[in-house]
Amino acid sequence: MSVMQNNSRASKWYLPGILGGMGITMAHLLKNLFNKKQMTTLNYPEEKYDYSSRFKGNHVLTVKKDGSLRCTACMLCATNCPAECIKIIASEHEDPAVEKYPIHYEIDILRCVFCGFCEEACPVDAIRMGPEWQTPGLNGSEFIYDIKQLAYRSALKGGVPSHVDDEERHKAGI
Amino acid sequence: MLKCTINGKEVEVKEGSTIMQAYYQMDESIAHYCYHPGLSVAGVCRLCIVEIEGNPRPQIACNTMVTEGMKINNASEKIKDGVKWVLDFHLINHPLDCPICDQAGECGLQEQYMDFGKYNPEMAEPKVKKHKVVDLGPTVVLDSERCILCARCVRFTDEISKTNELGLFNRGDRTEIGTVEGKSLDNNYTLNTVDICPVGALTSKDFRFRQRVWYLKDGNTVCNGCSTGCSVKVYFNKEGFFRVKPLFNEKVNGHWMCDVGRDIYKFVNKEVRLTKAQRKTAGGWTDYSAGSAVKEISKSMTGTSALVLTGQYTVEEYESIVSTFVQSYGSKNIFHWINNPNNVDDFDGLLFRGDRNPNTKGVLKVLAKHGIQNQWSDLVSKLGSGEIKNLVVAAPENLAVYPDLSEKISLFNKAANLVWFSTANSSEYTNLKEGAWVVPMKSFVEKEGTFINFQGLEQKFKKVTTVVSEALTLTEAAILLSGKELTLQKPLVNLIETQRRDDQVLLENRKKNEFVFKRGNL
Repeated sequence: MSVMQNNSRASKWYLPGILGGMGITMAHLLKNLFNKKQMTTLNYPEEKYDYSSRFKGNHVLTVKKDGSLRCTACMLCATNCPAECIKIIASEHEDPAVEKYPIHYEIDILRCVFCGFCEEACPVDAIRMGPEWQTPGLNGSEFIYDIKQLAYRSALKGGVPSHVDDEERHKAGI
Repeated sequence: MLKCTINGKEVEVKEGSTIMQAYYQMDESIAHYCYHPGLSVAGVCRLCIVEIEGNPRPQIACNTMVTEGMKINNASEKIKDGVKWVLDFHLINHPLDCPICDQAGECGLQEQYMDFGKYNPEMAEPKVKKHKVVDLGPTVVLDSERCILCARCVRFTDEISKTNELGLFNRGDRTEIGTVEGKSLDNNYTLNTVDICPVGALTSKDFRFRQRVWYLKDGNTVCNGCSTGCSVKVYFNKEGFFRVKPLFNEKVNGHWMCDVGRDIYKFVNKEVRLTKAQRKTAGGWTDYSAGSAVKEISKSMTGTSALVLTGQYTVEEYESIVSTFVQSYGSKNIFHWINNPNNVDDFDGLLFRGDRNPNTKGVLKVLAKHGIQNQWSDLVSKLGSGEIKNLVVAAPENLAVYPDLSEKISLFNKAANLVWFSTANSSEYTNLKEGAWVVPMKSFVEKEGTFINFQGLEQKFKKVTTVVSEALTLTEAAILLSGKELTLQKPLVNLIETQRRDDQVLLENRKKNEFVFKRGNL
């Protein structure tokens, strides 16, 4: 490996460059001191940034009116997932109208790349990308979200209903 | 022989064959649901329409005989449009619940739709609701809404299994497949109806919802459920094996296989397998690697040795282990463990046989080749008198068909040194004597070899995948038992050396974190 050195006479004049940089720093300092509202940084844990409602954060499994999962375990999200972070185990539901439902739905959120392909693939609006993104954990297992976390975590206040309800879906002929 | 022209190509077909058979012979694609080469012609789906020169209307290929000089065409726009409209009629009452349908991915309806459909449905009427999740019997579940009434399953029970359980009930668009009240679809061939169902109307209870089919890989092998030796396709992924389907084989099984044979994947999966070699000690079991265990065993084989064979290994394996015993140990004490002497010749008239070993003929052939004619009673008396010191048992894969397992274990325990080669794990092994060895073997999907079926037909099969990488084949065990080492076959060219780029960083430099590229001076 070789290093190119600039040994020209002009490169010896370093002081104007340093003073220019200090000037920029001073200008920002004064601007932030006298105009706090337009400050570009946040005091992060206390102040939080409001993202757009279309922000793709942690997943939410939507629920039906009776509070059960909307997911039919068709595994299209898992098939479409480029990070292969969704794991579903399907089972037979005792209600023949439901037929198939997931007994086990896991998202490894550390593998997830938040591309939203799962949301796009879902034929029944069962999985959505929610607004949350500040979800720390103490160890690896806290980043593997199961059905309880995805559909019924306390922030969701008893589950997020889907905008397409069963009756409406029947009327629409879906 | 008749000459006819199909899509502009001339072909000669047998007299009396239908246009559909000519298409099959040509390997030309033709849309169809109800026609199945193993069943009679029904002509109910009307999808296989073809244009015949001189005939003003399209005809169905499955039920029209070929005549001399017939010019047939199914590639024209007229036929494609016709198929599209027939398909639209099929889809009038189809629920289109592909996401939760088990057939999705291997569905005839999906395939034809991608070939001929791709239209917006023009049916404004509501769909007719039918029964969902109908329990037809112990193995099959029916979803009437998905059914397109091709009646393949009905014809199967009428013509092949001859049990006549299924029928078509009601009329018009309310027609449903069903069984007579109080009867259920219960015979040894029910799951063939699931295979031939072109849509997801009939699903297997065993496979239902366990995997989506696009997650499965497949491999061809020979069924080891009984001595018929049907050609089968096994479906697996990294989680294990999930199902078995028949593969067309004119000489043995035709298009079908029995329900008993569908369970053969169950004793291949890792949960029920021996995964490491073990030796029983006073307190419990000591673990060994399979190779080192067999080397230890070969050192301890002093005195008279005997071998017990079951009909569940390949001919090549028998050949190597028998010749090891005859040549290395100089012993002709080789015995054939027959699991069900009473019903060995049972046959249900279609495929399933009473001899539940795939390769009984293979054992007998190899034993006859080496001139060994021992009776089982010889083994019993020799074990009783203590003449046999070392006993090697090539135990069965499918333990379920060996009801006499515990009885035989107590017999084999009389030998001073007992070696148990097996793929299967069993709670019975706790009854093995102290000092006994268990060594994991490869199952039939993990090795290549030959099975000789009841007709004497030699069927070669290839390795599908590896489930227990530690396990040995009986051939490998025989080589180790004879005191030789297993050798890996060297690749023909040394890929690593020849594929190295001129400017590649050498491993030594990489270890020292020196990224020295030979690119000349800057």
